[in-house]
Amino acid sequence: MTEYKMFEGCTIGNRIPFIEAASRKVFDKVGIETSQAPFTCCPDPTGMKSFDNNAWLTIGARNLCLAEAEEKDIISLCNGCANTLRGVQHQLKHDSLKKAKVNKELAKIGKEFKGSIEVKHFVDVLKENLNKVKEAVTKPLSGLKVACHPGCHYMRPAEWMESDDPMRPTTLRELVKAAGATVVDYEEEVLCCGSAVTNAYQDYGMANLKTKLDSIEKAGADVIVVNCPACFQQFDTMQRDLSKKYEKEYKFPVLYITELYALAMGISPDEIGLKFHRTRLDMEKLG
Amino acid sequence: MMIDFEFRKEVMDYHIGSDVIRYCYQCSRCTDNCPVSAVSKDFYGTTGYDPRQNILAALLGYKDVIFNADPLTIWGCTVCDTCDEVCPQHIELTEIFTFLKNKSTADGKAPDYLYAQAKAIFDSAKAIPSQPAIERRRDQLGIPPVVAPDVDELQTLLKNIGADKKLK
Repeated sequence: MTEYKMFEGCTIGNRIPFIEAASRKVFDKVGIETSQAPFTCCPDPTGMKSFDNNAWLTIGARNLCLAEAEEKDIISLCNGCANTLRGVQHQLKHDSLKKAKVNKELAKIGKEFKGSIEVKHFVDVLKENLNKVKEAVTKPLSGLKVACHPGCHYMRPAEWMESDDPMRPTTLRELVKAAGATVVDYEEEVLCCGSAVTNAYQDYGMANLKTKLDSIEKAGADVIVVNCPACFQQFDTMQRDLSKKYEKEYKFPVLYITELYALAMGISPDEIGLKFHRTRLDMEKLG
Repeated sequence: MMIDFEFRKEVMDYHIGSDVIRYCYQCSRCTDNCPVSAVSKDFYGTTGYDPRQNILAALLGYKDVIFNADPLTIWGCTVCDTCDEVCPQHIELTEIFTFLKNKSTADGKAPDYLYAQAKAIFDSAKAIPSQPAIERRRDQLGIPPVVAPDVDELQTLLKNIGADKKLK
């Protein structure tokens, strides 16, 4: 059995841990083993990378070193962390000058980046175990109409994410169907949630979110399913403000794919802290 | 408008695919597919965020067009990497925008949240520091505490590469 190093990331670990709770319970049901490590921030591909690319590379490489020391692959619960760790690995493997520069810095703290482990996004690991997922589903969510939002950093840039089609993703759709739910098509599936731009230019972030949610509404979805904590927060916390700004009610429940799975596997909403969501899920819709 | 040849050379040297940026023929697929352009540009494209114009200015070395302008010129980018995928010339635009952003943070002209996040990472090694209320919630949810990272080691790295000097 493969044991992964769990990379829960800052947002899930230190802000919305209920997502980690659901993920750990689902991993147990599916037989995905994990252990912890003293990882720092990945660091953020929209924040720290924009702040200083060398810092991003060096801190990212240090995190990879921690997993390399234990000869274990990383499983990331977050699009941003997966994007950073895969991106750092890609840039260092394809640019010997960058690698030498980063290793010179790492040598000063007694570390060396080798590139000897893999970084996996958790949805790709779930996809590899799809048969076990289906066996663990005891309460199929038939009748639930789901709008999938895989999020930018899970699939782009394709050159280093190598996970899914960057403009026509399918993995999250397959995972949702495995829970017995129905996936709805909507025009703006690959549109960004707008989390990064919202930090500096809220009006543009809101206008973008409106485009996204109007498209989901048109498709008749009951819930939005995501696999990134930044997207989760953007949808879960911004809908109230959006409703005020545009004088139109937006209240789509937002579920992490592992929360959807937990419910389909018979785990109670209390056990996974569903009450900590801002948006409310109508349990009767679950079928 | 002055051409800054040193800036131009930096752009060429920075890009991971060396000088691929030269092959930009200004087709505008980047801007046409940019979610922020979609909600910020007017019909004639005289205002708002425009990735195509940034690439043109960077590739020609017109540093002032980018840096002596509304910060939106640089910071409108939401890092969705859509432009990278639709570019017919395989230019990794987001990498070039990262270079522009890195210069902007060094000049002290980036939006506040970037400095705040970098400071949090410098101080605690996490973008979101651990808080007692969340630690209790983790315990209630039956999940183990987050393992504390080595803050000293991270600070050593950041100081050695000089990234700490950009902090506010």
